[in-house]
Amino acid sequence: MIVFEKVTKEYNGMLSVPNGHAKRGGNHNIFRALDKIDFEIKDGEFVSIIGPSGAGKSTLLKMLIREEAPTQGKVLVDEINVADLADGQIPFLRRKIGTIFQDFKLLSNKTAKENVAFALEVIGVGPDQIEDDVSKVLRIVGMEEKNQNFPHQLSGGEKQRIAVARALVHRPKILLADEPTGNLDLLNTYDVIKLLMKINEFGTTVVLASHNREVVNSAGRRVITMDKGKVVKDQEQGKYTI
Amino acid sequence: MEFNKQNLIRVIESGWMNFKRNSWLAFGTVGIMVLALLIFAGLVAFNVISRTAIASLEEKVDVTAYLKTGVSDGEARDAAKRIGEISGISYVNYISRDQALEDFKKRHEGEELIQQAILELGENPLQASLEIKAEDSREYASLVSFLEKSSFRSLIDKIDFYENQTVIGRIQKISSGLRVGGILVTLVLSLIAVLITFNTVRLTIYSQKQEIEIMRLVGASNWHIRGPYVVEGAIYGIIAGFAVLIIFYPVVYLASPRIQAFIPSVNLTAYFTGFFGQMLILVFGLGIALGVISSFIAVRRYLKI
Repeated sequence: MIVFEKVTKEYNGMLSVPNGHAKRGGNHNIFRALDKIDFEIKDGEFVSIIGPSGAGKSTLLKMLIREEAPTQGKVLVDEINVADLADGQIPFLRRKIGTIFQDFKLLSNKTAKENVAFALEVIGVGPDQIEDDVSKVLRIVGMEEKNQNFPHQLSGGEKQRIAVARALVHRPKILLADEPTGNLDLLNTYDVIKLLMKINEFGTTVVLASHNREVVNSAGRRVITMDKGKVVKDQEQGKYTI
Repeated sequence: MEFNKQNLIRVIESGWMNFKRNSWLAFGTVGIMVLALLIFAGLVAFNVISRTAIASLEEKVDVTAYLKTGVSDGEARDAAKRIGEISGISYVNYISRDQALEDFKKRHEGEELIQQAILELGENPLQASLEIKAEDSREYASLVSFLEKSSFRSLIDKIDFYENQTVIGRIQKISSGLRVGGILVTLVLSLIAVLITFNTVRLTIYSQKQEIEIMRLVGASNWHIRGPYVVEGAIYGIIAGFAVLIIFYPVVYLASPRIQAFIPSVNLTAYFTGFFGQMLILVFGLGIALGVISSFIAVRRYLKI
């Protein structure tokens, strides 16, 4: 269960975000990326968060893995306020959550297989189980044949599939996907979305941030629309309407 | 993260893997470390040479008190004994007139003219003398003033300290200069070597900035991220250590006779063979410490959550 409770995020200093509304406060330019965000995501849901760039989608996801902390309000993941976590606790939060990034974020000097295995190594899984789980998940994403390739030897779609495999392999309760298809062509986009749907069917909560109309509409699930740091619409069976 | 055997092995493996896969970058870093460690080894050699050179220079300094002609053997020996008892005097050698003549003849063996001149003189023209050596060359001045005031002043004709004073002073200046200079050079060069190594390792890790960020986002603990880099740093140190020993010992072996020709008391080969164990510990210890500490500090910058 994920809960956002009146979450506000402000940045100090000049930020050149086209749609952000900068306002002067004291000597600083305070930019409000999120403005009193209030919603819940239940376990096992598939939620798409949409909106133009600068709407605050990425900031919202970053809060869930505590890459950012809210200025005001609470972000609860399984009833734990992530803002209260001590630095040493943050890795444990991140291990509960799988994250897929637009730019893949694969480790360039590790092979595809090692990249996936890394997520298990950090939790201290034994070598035999790593071997098992990694081959299984590579089969699911269809990358078992290129498991010895380094990221630079893979295409964009292949890299993203490895990234998905890494996000999945430790069976997280929550999967965050921040523009996972932003760098992919149409065919690869559908593959990745299909994968996300499949993962969701196994019971994982999926939060997908995207500004891609096709992606969101093809999912046909709950859609939260954001603009200028605010939630403007929250529909159970939404469509991309901006 | 729990600190257990499995994780330790994983971290070491991962460090070794990084090292292998970054081989070009690693090559550069190891190269810089080799230079830094060579500077250290060179400094050790420099200090050995200068210390031995100073010692041998100081060894050469002594004061000779020439005795009046009428002084008996007994009186001279008694004076020698009493001077020898003064603290700070390392040894006193009494050279009788006969002994002096003998030495003189021996020194000028084969020089016909001199031998003949002595024969013609008929009597021994040389004076008996006391050769006095102090433990520290700075003490000669006070020793001489002591002799001037002492009861055996009446036995002494002249003291050659006054003639040698400038030479002794100069040797003192050179040796203390070498000592201070050695320490300064060691400090400055060590500092430079450490800074260069640290910066090189930092640049190596800077190139890994994104990797570190990714590991953080995947939920790796600081220990898990830092461990492999620290291991990599240690590997750099070990390889650099090997390289330095492989370069340093042959160089010492080749240079040693040349330096010995210049300063006979310096035997570098013998010194460094004798202290091989210590050199091993110094070179590897420094190499590993440099690599590990540099990596440790460099990674810390990117570990901010």
